[in-house]
Amino acid sequence: MDLTNNLQVLFQGLALGSIYALVALGFVLIIRAANVVNFAQGDFAMVGAYLMVATLGAMMPYWLAFIIAILAMGAFGWLFNVAVYYPLRHRSFLPVLISTLGASIFLQNLVQAIAGAQPRPLPKLLDFDGFLVAGVFLDSQYLAILGCTAICVLFQYFLFEHTLLGKQLQATSQDKDMARLLGIPVALLIALTFIYSAALGGLAGILVAPILFVSIGMGSIIALKAFAATIVGGFGDVKGAIVGGLLIGIVESFAAFHISVPYKDAYAFLMLFFILIFRPQGLFGEKISEKA
Amino acid sequence: MAFNHFPIRWQALSVGTDVECMQRRRRSIMLLLALPLLMGIVAQDIHAAEPIKIGLVSEITGANAEAGSYTINGTKLAIDMINKNGGVLGRPLELVIEDNQSTNPGTVLAFSKLGGDKNIVAMIGPIRSTQVQAASPAIAKAAIPVMIGGTDPSLTKVNNPWLFRCRPNDSFSSRVVADFGVNTLKLKKWAIVHSTDTFGSGGKKALEDELKALGVTPVLVQGYTNNSQDFTPVVLAIKKSGAEVIGSYMTNSTDLGILAKQLRQLGVSATWIGSATITTDTAIKLAGDALHGTYGIADFSADANDAAKAFAAAYRARYKLEPDVYSGWAYDATHVIAQAIAASKSTRPEDIRKGILGLKDFKGVEGNFNFDESGDGLSGYNVLRNDKGKLVFMKHVEFKR
Repeated sequence: MDLTNNLQVLFQGLALGSIYALVALGFVLIIRAANVVNFAQGDFAMVGAYLMVATLGAMMPYWLAFIIAILAMGAFGWLFNVAVYYPLRHRSFLPVLISTLGASIFLQNLVQAIAGAQPRPLPKLLDFDGFLVAGVFLDSQYLAILGCTAICVLFQYFLFEHTLLGKQLQATSQDKDMARLLGIPVALLIALTFIYSAALGGLAGILVAPILFVSIGMGSIIALKAFAATIVGGFGDVKGAIVGGLLIGIVESFAAFHISVPYKDAYAFLMLFFILIFRPQGLFGEKISEKA
Repeated sequence: MAFNHFPIRWQALSVGTDVECMQRRRRSIMLLLALPLLMGIVAQDIHAAEPIKIGLVSEITGANAEAGSYTINGTKLAIDMINKNGGVLGRPLELVIEDNQSTNPGTVLAFSKLGGDKNIVAMIGPIRSTQVQAASPAIAKAAIPVMIGGTDPSLTKVNNPWLFRCRPNDSFSSRVVADFGVNTLKLKKWAIVHSTDTFGSGGKKALEDELKALGVTPVLVQGYTNNSQDFTPVVLAIKKSGAEVIGSYMTNSTDLGILAKQLRQLGVSATWIGSATITTDTAIKLAGDALHGTYGIADFSADANDAAKAFAAAYRARYKLEPDVYSGWAYDATHVIAQAIAASKSTRPEDIRKGILGLKDFKGVEGNFNFDESGDGLSGYNVLRNDKGKLVFMKHVEFKR
């Protein structure tokens, strides 16, 4: 009984952690490419979920609705780049950060004005509820989340390490001026990063919506944990974002089960607290002094 | 309420090319020019009588905006109905809405703002106990009657003479939950699931007391914070406890929907008797068949009495939505204010207060209103059953105060 319960908790923690990881990946990519924390990253998830509601509402089959929603999120990422980041690209960190914060508030109000405030259900990706394996219930949506996250991580690894585009993206994030001198179209690559991050955020939203429902505030809850994950993993580190996300998901699930449920949200931040004291650069992060 | 949309339109204006902006600006200037004209038409329509202003502090944006939209629906329906029948004291009612952003600080701010408008004679406040608690000092300072929907029993026991509860408080709901579970369904192993906010903690305490009076000690008392994304630890704790019945005081419909689905997935088949949230339109839509067969103890039921039936029909016709507690209580609160003004023949806050206290058996959709000195207006609850997604009215339980 206790082993199955613990396995159940592990499974849920892993799945929620994957969602944090997906959103955290979006954070990290934009931090690396544009040197800015995108506070609207959580709202990308919200917008993605609402787009999915809209495409499904247009009587499309699920897979087509899914693809169109993700593509639309890509277009949305480009728009976001043009409207929120690009005009401020020569300014310091802070104006851009405030700009993304403003975009976040604007997006929440815009979506509420268009779609209304009622939360909505979204059907699951797979057409069955889940399996019962040795007393542990494996929700099909959680399985889909784990699968999609694994695919995204692999895709991203391949992209960054084994393609020219990936190398150019890495060069851009490390030193924009040098990259520009070498003939890399920096502005285009940053736009690409926003497009990819938005699609990733939208995917996270669509994946988590069948469980958390589609609501205006759904993104903010996830983004806060995902942001903690990027710091735990190492600010701006891709591997760190994934490990940090999974770690936070698992730690908060186990702590909630074994210690206390009402303090569930506290554990993620308690972990953040200890990381900041004992390893401020995060699990995989480099020390700032090395980077300079 | 055109002004609700204004801020959003203005934001949208700032995006776009210069030419577009200019075109839009020209259009909006024309609109502005046309405004006095439109207002003139409206003023003629209501026979030039000066309106009586009623304030509404509700959740237009933020986590509970969905509930707020139902509350605004219910209030507007009541206001339009009253105005259609000649208004109050020959004057129309005018609604002034202020958003509280679903937060406590937002609520305090909203009350301070509306309290500054000396033409507002009475207000309808939030349905969240925690928000009422936060705003109570600001309400005392504004010194006008405020109708509240928060059901934590302690809210009306803080010597604030301006709070009037237009819903029965949770000392009654917990009595019905306990009595229905223990005496009607004959279930003795209880698990209590509650939000850790003011409403949930108040409800938990009241339910524990009522169960104790019936000789039952719960096998599990489990709290959680609002907007928890995962209820697996809660569900596993219920499973472990072997409870045969769950009594719940949950605040948000989304949380309730997630818990309902996870209870079913993890194979918990305990009977569920929930506070009013389990009967809201949103919860029923979100959770779907995961809520079939559950019971709800709610102050609002569309079939409880004639007033409720009439309200439900009007509400469905106008909004194409199912009426629920969020809309029902606000509808009642508006009528209580109107009745009190009419009875006291005055719009002075002190007179309206006396008018409210003087109401005898005013028939609202949530029951018959009789306000006691502390400001509690109702003392009855309905027992409802979710029958394949349709709420079936079982009985109304009225208590003596």
